[in-house]
Amino acid sequence: MRDFPIQQEQNPDQDVLSENDTDHMSELSQRREKSVSVLLCWIRRRFVWIGQIFRRHIRFLLIMLGAFWGVVFESLRVSSWRRSVRYEFVSTTNSIIRGGLFATVFTGVLTGVAAVSQVIYWLGFAGLATMTGSVLINIVVREIAPILVGVLLLGRNGILSTTELGLLVMNGEIRSMQAMGIDPFLLLILPRTLAFTVGGFTLGILFSCASLITGYVMSRISGVITAPVWTFFSNLMSAVSPLDYVAIPLNFIIVGFVVGLGGCLTGLTATNQDTLRSLLPRSFSRGLLIVMLVSVLFSLDL
Amino acid sequence: MKISFTGPLLELKNAVPSFEESGLPPVPFNMRLMPGDCVFIDIHDISRATMLADVCSGLVPLESGSVQFMGFDWCRLNEKEVNSLRGRIGRITKRRSWPDFMPVHMAIMLQQLYHTTISQETLLFDAAVLSEEFGLPGLPMLNPNSMSAMDLHRANCVRALLGRPQLLLLEDPMRDASRELIDAFLRAITRARDYGAGVVWLASGNAMRKYYQQGVTSALRFTDNGFVTVRMG
Repeated sequence: MRDFPIQQEQNPDQDVLSENDTDHMSELSQRREKSVSVLLCWIRRRFVWIGQIFRRHIRFLLIMLGAFWGVVFESLRVSSWRRSVRYEFVSTTNSIIRGGLFATVFTGVLTGVAAVSQVIYWLGFAGLATMTGSVLINIVVREIAPILVGVLLLGRNGILSTTELGLLVMNGEIRSMQAMGIDPFLLLILPRTLAFTVGGFTLGILFSCASLITGYVMSRISGVITAPVWTFFSNLMSAVSPLDYVAIPLNFIIVGFVVGLGGCLTGLTATNQDTLRSLLPRSFSRGLLIVMLVSVLFSLDL
Repeated sequence: MKISFTGPLLELKNAVPSFEESGLPPVPFNMRLMPGDCVFIDIHDISRATMLADVCSGLVPLESGSVQFMGFDWCRLNEKEVNSLRGRIGRITKRRSWPDFMPVHMAIMLQQLYHTTISQETLLFDAAVLSEEFGLPGLPMLNPNSMSAMDLHRANCVRALLGRPQLLLLEDPMRDASRELIDAFLRAITRARDYGAGVVWLASGNAMRKYYQQGVTSALRFTDNGFVTVRMG
């Protein structure tokens, strides 16, 4: 093993350092300390800068994650379900389901005409009629339905929630609620998010049924299918895997949940500098991003 | 839940409100309000009255001192306890407080539905009685934007007095009010004081105090140096 000389080792010949050397060394050590502290300061500033950018960009995501846990946690506590919270839940659920029923069924019918009947026709034309069930389940029910229902929820009710809650914040009504001892999270975020969840599931199932039934009816009228409706749906059901029985409803539920949570939080995190001009586009782009993100996550074969 | 306490209902002990949060002068404020008392505070700027009422309800952080309500220091309570205590305060505020998406009758009962277990029928009945007392034809079922400013003010009085609040924080409650509304209001706060509620009446000038001269237990003036006691009589 090679021995390296130790640089700091004192020269035996130099028993006593001259005064100049001592000053020089202390100056050097001070300079070194100074440069180290400058470097540390620089690194710290860089970390702060990176942290600021990171926090600014993912702030909303972090708020979403926190609120996600908050909604799940609070919804399991009996004391959270006060009468005013129940009232808000019921009125929002009614508004989402009743208000969105026609638009969802109509969109489902259009999808049935435009997509389902075409899929049935072209698969039959290509001699792949046996694949009709799995293609419809995978494309219409698993992919198209959550996105369209999510967009409908966002457009009809998500942006409405953003506007309502944003105005509450900007006009100071939230402060008045706090003065009455009412927690805005419990009164507004919790029931509305859960109402969106119920709405997402209900409208998603209705959309899927409307599109598949319309597709069958159109194909039957045009003579592409001759089998009765029971056989058609039996073929569809045989294409549904056990995992799909969980994944498809879960997809609708999660889409509803995140659209509701995102809309409410965008409104509630509005500041006094915000106006509807800035709030609504933000809500729409965030909501669309969330819907697409959830859809992509569910499309991955994890 | 019944809270038993002795001593003042509301007490400001050298409470210095945060200037950044409230815009109030950062000087110590002192005030004691016993159950059944009515303190009149002469305050010129009504936005400051709102902030002062916020200080009394523990919404404004303090730089020093304390604000105690029913014997509890707002700063020492957790969020749920704070909310629960605020549920015992009836307030007439100049700040907007009517959500557009909620009909007025629900907004009137909201605080009671949130904090109490009083049946909805009882609340509806009590609210309807108070509404008629304050000159409304009945409990308003409209949305707030369909109601006139004066009717909303009457609804504000109903909401503040519904459910037997322990403390009434009133921000210039009777400005531009008719004589009938003033009489009804004074009757209602006298009733509230009879069961032990304290009243903090924030208003500019002494005009309103003259209507309730015999009822006011103490009068203060809000200045940049804190409260100054005003001689009554």
